[in-house]
Amino acid sequence: MKKIIFLLILSFSFSACEKDDICDANTTETTPKLVIEFYDFINPTVPKSVSNLVIKTDAVEKGISYSPGSKILVPLKINADSVTYRFIQNGATNPLTNVNVDIITINYKRINTYVSRACGFKTTFELNPTNGVVLSDATPADNLWMRETQIKVFQINNETEIHVKILF
Amino acid sequence: MSKYYFSIALVFACFFAMAQTEKKIEKPIDSILPKTERYGIRFGIDAFKLAKSIYDKNYKGIELVGDYRLTKNIYAATELGNDNKTVNEDQINFTTKGSFIKLGADYNSYQNWLDMENMVYIGLRYGVATFSQTLNSYKVYDPGSYFGQSEAIPSGEKYDGLSAQWAEVITGIKAKVINNVFVGFNIRFNKLFTNNKPDGFDNLYIPGFNKTYSGDFGIGFNYSVSYLLPLYKSVAKPTEKQLKKDIKK
Repeated sequence: MKKIIFLLILSFSFSACEKDDICDANTTETTPKLVIEFYDFINPTVPKSVSNLVIKTDAVEKGISYSPGSKILVPLKINADSVTYRFIQNGATNPLTNVNVDIITINYKRINTYVSRACGFKTTFELNPTNGVVLSDATPADNLWMRETQIKVFQINNETEIHVKILF
Repeated sequence: MSKYYFSIALVFACFFAMAQTEKKIEKPIDSILPKTERYGIRFGIDAFKLAKSIYDKNYKGIELVGDYRLTKNIYAATELGNDNKTVNEDQINFTTKGSFIKLGADYNSYQNWLDMENMVYIGLRYGVATFSQTLNSYKVYDPGSYFGQSEAIPSGEKYDGLSAQWAEVITGIKAKVINNVFVGFNIRFNKLFTNNKPDGFDNLYIPGFNKTYSGDFGIGFNYSVSYLLPLYKSVAKPTEKQLKKDIKK
């Protein structure tokens, strides 16, 4: 009789049981961001820190501001093959001083890959070979603060590599 | 004539004498009714899947169960069925369709009194399923995205010709409710052997096996209602253990 009661209790505990899987982005590779590293234009092997950098795209109200450093992560759109950012030098100064805006358009192809039940899918990107990263000046023109862009890795599968090098 | 009377009386006397001796032998056995065990085929249906097919619009399925009593405690058992289940999770919505069969045996560890026919059993099964999966829609995982949460992307891609094989360890009970009708419940712990996964997707649900977790483990359960078709009876012989107990008494 004890066995039967035990089994009944066990049965009810299982009937409502559903494992709540949570996607752990730290252990699973999910959608990567574009990794850009800034280098000195005069001395192109030396990373150069950018301070008070803000990037912003027109579709989103808020910009992304970065803490001082030479490496930044730039999100790409998972529902479009292109994204345009205004790279605002000194954009985080208060009050704004010496602001210089350049425009960078990133063109790519997207591939959606299955990851897991909890994470769903991830999008990886492949930069276009001809116009992967396009640098232009904003209107009104205020001269380019960035000088040159170089694509190092076309396949954006993770955030451990540096995909694009920008000299300024 | 008196000679005949005497002869007849003598014959009857012999009968009486025989009857007497027979009675003397029979008496001790008479005091214990011989216990009969019924053997037959039991077949039924999983009531849970049947009910779920009615109230859950994302599920259509049926499972037939059957067993055949081989010895006093061992039953050959099988389950076969069909599942059509749509799973809607945060990141993925998919539909699995397919059929399965499980073969194995149950061992009844319950000592029934008198004519009770209940079971508290453990069992083993080998299961195999063939199925297809359709990815209905999915979301791209993009945590803390600057562009906001990803919307579900419709897909409709179908992955055919999938299969899986597994083993189950079962524990359960079966009780006779009226005459030949039994109700039962069991829990099943499943372990996948082979799992033929599609390229670019995973077998997140396998008919008969149920939801797959990482590590190839699964859990199932079954509420069955079944009917026993008795084929023959056998008189239960006391086992050696019982005989030894009786001798001690």
